[in-house]
Amino acid sequence: MTRILGIDVGGTFTDFVSYDSKTQKLEVWKTSSTPDDPSDGILNGMAQKSSEQVEYMRFGTTVATNAILERKGSTVAFVTTQGFKDVPFIQRGKRKSHYDITWIKSKPLVKRRDCYEIDERITPREGVYKPLNESQARTVAKSINSDPNIEAIAICLLCSYVFPEHERRLKTIFEEECPNKPVSISYELLPKWKEHERSSTTIADAYIKPIVSQNLLRLQDRLNEAGDIKKVAVIKSNGGETTLEGARQYPIHLSLSGPTGGVIGAKYIAGLSGVSNLVTLDMGGTSTDVSTIVSARESFTTSYEIEFGVPIQIPMLDIRTMGAGGGSIAWIDKGGMLRVGPQSAGAQPGPACYGRGGEDPTVTDANVVLGRINPSNFLGGEMSLDVDAAKQAIKNVADQIEVSIDEAAIGIVQIANNNMVGALRMVLTERGLDPRDFTLLAFGGAGPVHITDVMHSASIPSGIVPNFPGQFSAFGFIMTDARVDLERTAPMTSKAFNAEHASRVLSDLVTEAKQSLSTQGYQANLEIYRSLEMRYFGQNHELEVAVEFDSFDEQTILDVWQQFHSVHKTRYNFDIPGETIELISIKVTAVSLTPKPNLLEIERSSGPVISEGTRLVRYDSGHIETPIYSREHLKAGDSFNGPAIIEEGASVTIIRPEYNVKIDLYGNILIGEIATK
Amino acid sequence: MDMINMNIVESAMIAIAREMGINVQKTAYSTIFSEGEDFTCALANRDGELIAVADFCPSQIGGVPLLVRSMIKEIPLSEMSEGDVVIHNDPYRGGLHTPEHTVFKPIFVEDKIVAFSVCVGHFVEVGGMVPGGFPGEATEIFHEGLRVPPIKIIKEGKDVPEVWKMMLANVRTPRGNYGDMRALISAVDLGEKRLKSLIEKYGAQTFESTVQDLMDYSEKRMRAELETFKDGKYTFVDKVEDDGIEDKEYEIHIAVYVQGGEVVVDYTGSSKQAKGPINATLGVAWSAAFNAILHMTDETIPLNSGCFRPIRVIAPAGTVMNVDYPGSEVGGNTETHPLIVSAIFGAMVDCVPDRVMASEGTTHGCFVFGGHDELNDEPYGGFDFSYVGYGGRSFADGNDATDSINGNCANTPMEVFETRFPWIVEEYALRPNSGGAGQFRGGLSNVKQMMCTGEMLVSQMTNKHKICAWGLKNGGGGALGATLYKKAGGNKWETTVEAYGKVSPSKYSNIPMNPGDRVRVLAPGGGGFGAPADRSQEAVTEDVREGYISEDQARKIYDFRG
Repeated sequence: MTRILGIDVGGTFTDFVSYDSKTQKLEVWKTSSTPDDPSDGILNGMAQKSSEQVEYMRFGTTVATNAILERKGSTVAFVTTQGFKDVPFIQRGKRKSHYDITWIKSKPLVKRRDCYEIDERITPREGVYKPLNESQARTVAKSINSDPNIEAIAICLLCSYVFPEHERRLKTIFEEECPNKPVSISYELLPKWKEHERSSTTIADAYIKPIVSQNLLRLQDRLNEAGDIKKVAVIKSNGGETTLEGARQYPIHLSLSGPTGGVIGAKYIAGLSGVSNLVTLDMGGTSTDVSTIVSARESFTTSYEIEFGVPIQIPMLDIRTMGAGGGSIAWIDKGGMLRVGPQSAGAQPGPACYGRGGEDPTVTDANVVLGRINPSNFLGGEMSLDVDAAKQAIKNVADQIEVSIDEAAIGIVQIANNNMVGALRMVLTERGLDPRDFTLLAFGGAGPVHITDVMHSASIPSGIVPNFPGQFSAFGFIMTDARVDLERTAPMTSKAFNAEHASRVLSDLVTEAKQSLSTQGYQANLEIYRSLEMRYFGQNHELEVAVEFDSFDEQTILDVWQQFHSVHKTRYNFDIPGETIELISIKVTAVSLTPKPNLLEIERSSGPVISEGTRLVRYDSGHIETPIYSREHLKAGDSFNGPAIIEEGASVTIIRPEYNVKIDLYGNILIGEIATK
Repeated sequence: MDMINMNIVESAMIAIAREMGINVQKTAYSTIFSEGEDFTCALANRDGELIAVADFCPSQIGGVPLLVRSMIKEIPLSEMSEGDVVIHNDPYRGGLHTPEHTVFKPIFVEDKIVAFSVCVGHFVEVGGMVPGGFPGEATEIFHEGLRVPPIKIIKEGKDVPEVWKMMLANVRTPRGNYGDMRALISAVDLGEKRLKSLIEKYGAQTFESTVQDLMDYSEKRMRAELETFKDGKYTFVDKVEDDGIEDKEYEIHIAVYVQGGEVVVDYTGSSKQAKGPINATLGVAWSAAFNAILHMTDETIPLNSGCFRPIRVIAPAGTVMNVDYPGSEVGGNTETHPLIVSAIFGAMVDCVPDRVMASEGTTHGCFVFGGHDELNDEPYGGFDFSYVGYGGRSFADGNDATDSINGNCANTPMEVFETRFPWIVEEYALRPNSGGAGQFRGGLSNVKQMMCTGEMLVSQMTNKHKICAWGLKNGGGGALGATLYKKAGGNKWETTVEAYGKVSPSKYSNIPMNPGDRVRVLAPGGGGFGAPADRSQEAVTEDVREGYISEDQARKIYDFRG
């Protein structure tokens, strides 16, 4: 292997990270993104370094995300069981919030006029209650085929997770009758109960299938023209890679491809630094993403909503996004309370200090006023900042609440930090995890600026700022593994447990998962993970219990029930000994590990570290004359105490007085608490 | 006032209440919690004032202050120890209705109670004359279920076995109720733990003064909102169509006095209390007035007792708006509450026309059932929600199929419903033509038709089968609701009046159902806003194409020419 290329297609820039396995060198660059045809940006960026051969290219895509969020997908026909075509319209009957009289219920990604019903019925208790009426189904298929507006078909039958044969048969019938319209069936996407969530997911898959397909085919063609790349992979929402061919089959799995790079990179850093619990803080201009690595593994979820009431439930990295970034605007509400966000100054006009006409005070302006960001060394000196404009903008809010500019600025930073702490709470304490067991990994342009403040407020004792914090997502994409997550509903209770059936489901899933990887060309270095979704009989939400065996026998079953009681006790602080337990579904994940880069160690320190100078910086406690370090001059083993500021091209790391710094062998900034007596 | 600390403490407290709610949702046994989210998690200060609450079910929110104060009245602070948990459901001690159980846990900091963590949840099965807690024909509180005054269910961290035994012996589904009680208790435990560490971070004194500032702040913002309302007296009268016992209407009278940033909601003139269970308790009468005013004011005001300070409620005792002991009241919280909110909107349309809507369907369907499930060989009780049409507004159509305004409960997915209970759902759909006509039409309601596969008893507490949701500013009324039965082998859909000789088609107890019997529950649609003649032909065309209104109706009502 010669070069691996990781590409992160963002809203403004497309980032590139390339790793040369001969020289072990990393290279980082970027080009402007081209939203109309993202392949332009990718090809432009690749052309900048055309001299060298790319062996393996992996990229995160926002094509699926944007088609969904901007509602620019295809016209879909929705096909379901007789009596249930309104499920996507009724949704779950909830309002987005309690007291908002102006709220307008979200529309699904399908029109009601394009919904069709099929004469059949499966029930959870009776199984096939009404057989599939094939001739009626064929009539429906013919009528959909003759409708020139329909571009894709989504099929979701009631209780198909119990008995998938009706859906499978319909797929065949519709493919025969509608040869030019792709067909998505719910069982292949989400074989799990709750009809609204499953329908909505299936409709979304059909909705983006044509556009994703066109995009990926076009990229493939252009890459072929441009030269010979041995392997091209795209990153799924679960952080695993797949081939372009595999991605086109189930495009819904690309719906949250973009933000996964940071988490994959974080997992790599966890391995590199021997830290098994990490929480990520990816803070950019308009939003911040947070996610966790627990015991050296990423955290997953299947719960996501395109907008309120329109869910997509596919396996994805559990990344929470909040509308708070460096560009978030501070304002005074009607009661005189200082607030930050969710409005953002965006890239245009940007914060007031950019001097492009922005007048609203942003978090970045507050950091400039407080001396945290160096106005003459922003983006490595590419841009100089207007301190007076920042002060004037902050003064506008400071005057309204009658505090000094400094007090207002520190308040803005504190509230922004508190918003981030709120997001961290969602991925930590709300899931029963203790922040004191974690290390905060901060990246994105603004993450390192806030790292020690957030550590302090969230009681996270240690932190890491990786190399290239601005391109960390693209860095993550050079480390991805291929990954398939499968799940099958197999409901039974501890009172009447069918070990033979459970064992068969488990082994079928393992076989299918391996097969799915191998048809994409991933056969080597397989890892298989198995888990069970269980609950007390009567509860409606499951807890996942990891298991390591291949089949259920008397002993493993007893262990499983015992394990569930203890997982429940840990998570919710109580268990119900002796209670019947219900197994809901069996999950299998297969991972094919790909070769990882060997990062070069940086030069070791041979003497005390010397700062580049000092600057007066405001902290919670007041102003302190703070030494400034240049990251490119720091060497492995260098260490110093806060207060300190470390500047680099893409970001600035602020070290509060309570923390110290050590540079590791690879140049990562490790942050710890200074021991107090 | 430290605005920055206040912002931070407030968001931390809301996060705590949210986390409490997630515990309830994930661990509870009843689908009304795990799917429906019919519960509220809140924090209160030592005086019983609401200081923070998370978004789960709104009907209970306005009731929290009265609930906590009623509890403190019976169990003085001096008699509470660290680790105690108090349970309570008595409608005559600040409760909202019999099924609503509240658990409280005092939060001690340095041996002193500083706050309470509170969780209010709607239990499906509470004993009483019908499985499922909604006896449409109850005439006394005793018919409705077990009454629980504030008592300690846990003392200093240890279960009080006598209380557990007593409570579980009086319900039909002890296993499920046990799980649900554990879920609520785990939530207040968590609330205690989290709030305690927050208070310790700031110190009790700073915390308490910050919380006072926060309530003052909410009050200030609420007053500022109300000051923009034009002073005056605004009135409206609406009706409950019957009470399940007598075929007669009950009036609810609303007079809203607005003056200088304060509001008085006066229910004087409302009918004497009914024999049947449609009466509101005092908690409901307050809660409904708060609910209406929160809808008409800025949604971003932090929700706490400070919001309620500029609002006064006059609810004459012995009326349908403030029931006297021992009247029945289970439907007051589900039917009368949303009716009051809508009626207040009706009154206020002349004051703030852009902040109200025409009447919504004002019911949750409250279709309850229970029996012995052969499949799992154990008793079960179930609650099924209907989703109503919302009222049209001066700027938009009413939303379709949404939970009535005092709840915000999710449906139980059909696949979960059929797994849990012996029913087969045959249709779950919107009701075309159910939205009231108007420039902005009312929302469509839903219909659910199902067949039972085991013997069971069915009861219901709903409304608007005789009096429809009204429109505003010349908007038309929404379609009436109906619940129709068809016995196995029969060929006629009939109301409970026709088929079972009940007094009311919407409020009744214990209809026996056998395998193959069917029921069709049609929820009421919402009222329209503005004259139908002013609706754009474009909107009418889209409605016809989407099947929200039939072509025939569109021609009649909107002069549709497509």
